[in-house]
Amino acid sequence: MKTKKEFRFFSIMEYEQEQDYLRTMHKSGWKFVKVSGLCCYLFEECEPEDVIYQLDYNQDGRAHREEYLRMFADCGWEYLQDYVGYSYFRKPASEMNGTEEIFCDDASRLDMMKRIFRSRVLPLVIICTLVFIPQFLLQIFSFHNYGLAAGFGCLIALYLSHFALFTAKYCRYLRKMQK
Amino acid sequence: MDPHLKKVYVPMTETAFFILFCLREPNHGYGVVQTVERLTEGAVRLAPGTMYGSLSKMEKDGVIRFIREEDKRKLYQITELGRELLQLELKRIARLYQIAKEAL
Repeated sequence: MKTKKEFRFFSIMEYEQEQDYLRTMHKSGWKFVKVSGLCCYLFEECEPEDVIYQLDYNQDGRAHREEYLRMFADCGWEYLQDYVGYSYFRKPASEMNGTEEIFCDDASRLDMMKRIFRSRVLPLVIICTLVFIPQFLLQIFSFHNYGLAAGFGCLIALYLSHFALFTAKYCRYLRKMQK
Repeated sequence: MDPHLKKVYVPMTETAFFILFCLREPNHGYGVVQTVERLTEGAVRLAPGTMYGSLSKMEKDGVIRFIREEDKRKLYQITELGRELLQLELKRIARLYQIAKEAL
C-alpha cells in the first residue's frame, strides 16, 4: 500500500483547521493513519471518500479511557489516536443523517476551549509573564545583550499572538451563544 | 439551593434538560442519546463529546449520580437536587409558553 508523509504545523487552537485538513486529504484519496513526532502526518492511499474528522480535548476522558471511547464508538465514531492532549475521531459522512460533529451545542464547544485554556494556554501565559518578560527587560537594560533580548522578544510575540488568537476565538463563540 | 448552581442550570441547555429528563430512570449516556432521538423524532441528536463532557460536569455538580457500570457504560440517575432544578426549568418554560400563548 502506498503511503506518504506530510509535515503540517497546527497550533493548539487550530484544531478546526486540522480537522479540515484531514477531511480534505481523505477526500482526495489519502486516508489518515497517524500523527507522530513533530507534526508528521502519515497517510495511506485509499478510495476518495467524505469522512469527517474531529478532535476532542478532554483530560477526564483520557483518564477514564474505556467508557470515554465506548461513548464515541456507540455513536459511530472511530477512535484513531491521542496526540498532544487531543483525541482523534472520524466518521464517514455517508453514515450520518445530515451533518454531525462530536459536539452538538456551543456550550460544550466552549467547555472544550476552557479545558484547552486551563491546561495549555494558561501555563504558557504564566511562564511568559514570570520568565520571558523579566528576562527580556533584564537583557536590554542590565546586560545589554540585544541578541538574547531579541530572542525573548520573539518568544513573547509568539506567546502573545497565540493568546490573542485564543481570546478572539473564545469571544466569537461567546457572542454566538448570546445571540 | 446553591445560587451559583441555579444560575448555571436555569435556564439550562437542551442537552442538560434531556439528560436530567431521561435520567429519572437509571440510564447510560448512549441510552439518553437514543431516547432523545426517539422522543424528538430525530430532530435532536446528542453528540458524544457533548454528552461525555456534560455527564461528568453534572456528576461533579451533584445533579446526577453514578449508579454502576455495565459493559463499560456508566449508568447515572438524577439526584434530588437535579429534580429540583428540572422543576425550576419546567416552570420557567411553562411561564414563557403561557405568556406567548396569551399574546398570539
